Amino acid sequence: MTPPVLLSARGLAWRSGARTILGPLDLDVLRGECLAVVGPNGAGKTTLLRCLTGLLEPSSGEIAFDGRSLASLSRRQIARRISYVPQIRPARVPLKVEEIVLLGRYPHLSTLQLAPRREDFAAVDEALRVVGIEDLRGRPVDELSGGERQAVFIAAALAQESELLVLDEPTLHLDARHQHDLAALLLRLKEGTDHTVVLATHDLNLASLLGDRLLALSAGKALATGTPAEILRQDLLERLFRARFEIVRGGERPVTVLDLNA
Amino acid sequence: MRPRTALLILLALWIATAVLTPLVGSQPVRLADVLRGDPTVAAIFWQIRLPRILLALLGGAALAVSGLGFQTLFRNPLAEPYTLGISSGAALGAVLALRFEGGQFLGLSLVGLASFAGALGATALIVGLALRRQGIQTSTLLLAGVAVSLSCSAIILFLQYLSDSTQTFRMVRWMMGGLSVVGYTEVLWLLPWVLGGSAALFALRWELNLLLTGEELAASRGVDLARLRRLVLLATSLMIGALVAVAGPIGFVGLIVPHILRRVVGHDHLFLVPACILGGGAFLTLCDAVGRTVMAPAELPVGILTALLGGPFFLWLLVFRRRE
Repeated sequence: MTPPVLLSARGLAWRSGARTILGPLDLDVLRGECLAVVGPNGAGKTTLLRCLTGLLEPSSGEIAFDGRSLASLSRRQIARRISYVPQIRPARVPLKVEEIVLLGRYPHLSTLQLAPRREDFAAVDEALRVVGIEDLRGRPVDELSGGERQAVFIAAALAQESELLVLDEPTLHLDARHQHDLAALLLRLKEGTDHTVVLATHDLNLASLLGDRLLALSAGKALATGTPAEILRQDLLERLFRARFEIVRGGERPVTVLDLNA
Repeated sequence: MRPRTALLILLALWIATAVLTPLVGSQPVRLADVLRGDPTVAAIFWQIRLPRILLALLGGAALAVSGLGFQTLFRNPLAEPYTLGISSGAALGAVLALRFEGGQFLGLSLVGLASFAGALGATALIVGLALRRQGIQTSTLLLAGVAVSLSCSAIILFLQYLSDSTQTFRMVRWMMGGLSVVGYTEVLWLLPWVLGGSAALFALRWELNLLLTGEELAASRGVDLARLRRLVLLATSLMIGALVAVAGPIGFVGLIVPHILRRVVGHDHLFLVPACILGGGAFLTLCDAVGRTVMAPAELPVGILTALLGGPFFLWLLVFRRRE
């Protein structure tokens, strides 16, 4: 039987000069789960994701992926197992949808081969199909709406065929309709594939909908970890965000709304 | 237009340029006379025109491919080999050699070798910065290049100030850039650098394509950004250094050609790198042919011509095109 922990961090910390941005914190990501990281601006969510994807070298602490130290893996080895959809991307990307998704195959290509193989194109087709954007494949990505563009980069991450998918603020800057569509897509991915997902988001309802567990991050430290119902409580949210939330629907996956009048 | 079709058209254009431009110049040459073996015509064609055309084809390729590499690496449409101070470094080397009266070494002039060394020195400085452990930002690297460039220019002006008018004239003439005095030695010298550099950038086409989606995403896909930067900087500076050593600084080709070709073949480096080899070579050869004929029997140095074309293009780029 494979061990249930896919990614684990012990004493993970990241400092910029004398300022501690993240940690020290301990974290386990279980196989097949969706872990949603929530917390205010500057809590260290993106820094945490960048450490977990090996893009940032932790100032102290250890991260192990599938039992092996992340620091001992090459960038390419990491990329075959972890894919990342960053929050910040260039304002303009002069490529077509299928070109971008094909670039997701990069960690599987060898430098010597002139063209991608059949299995690479098959992975691209599959990713486009799963995300439901086959009809966009020949379009320049700059012509698409924000929501479609996000879907393209998620498809590229899927074509990478990794075990762990890390998403940073996938619904940022999207209008209600596109937020809804993207949430539906992510829910479909979560249920239809065996990906392990770590996502950081400001959207507590997205975290509630998708997260098997939530990590509440505050000033770089883990304030609490638990199921959506355990984290999305009025008192905890007030401590986390220093703002008042109304729980408009309880249950296993609570729906909250920010109370601006408080 | 499909990229493959565009590439074939470029190839046809390249061949046409290579065949036709040796025939034009202050002394028009007919292909029939060359083939018949007329000694004067044959000498002009084989000993003067052909090496010059070959050098222009190679040099244009070096400039365009390097420009492409720099624009992708720095994600900046205005970057070109000379932005990082490579040409200023080369010019400084040449001016120093001219100031202290250089001779010949291994068939190449000391001025040329000094400029090659200068180009590499300037790049070494930049690469040294890029190599620092806590990865330096690409934008900082670009600014560092500008700083190197300005420092070299200041030293050049100082050296000119100290020199007599004959030396100063030779320095200024060198800095115009030109292909006027070349033979096969120069062609053979440039060939391996251009082949090697272009091959390196072609081999890096996936990484360069990934850079178009942003450094963060490229790194997450497994690109070693520090290594990529190092390789691109090395390949381009060796090509440019080798070219500057024989032809002086020739500006703007690296800026104009990749921009036009992106509109023709798209942004995939699989097609862009070969397109720049062909398009850059053809463009510089055509410019040189114009330079040889407009004021015949006098010659307009090709560096002046490309800069005359490049200036307005630069303006158009700045004013009318939205930033990418």
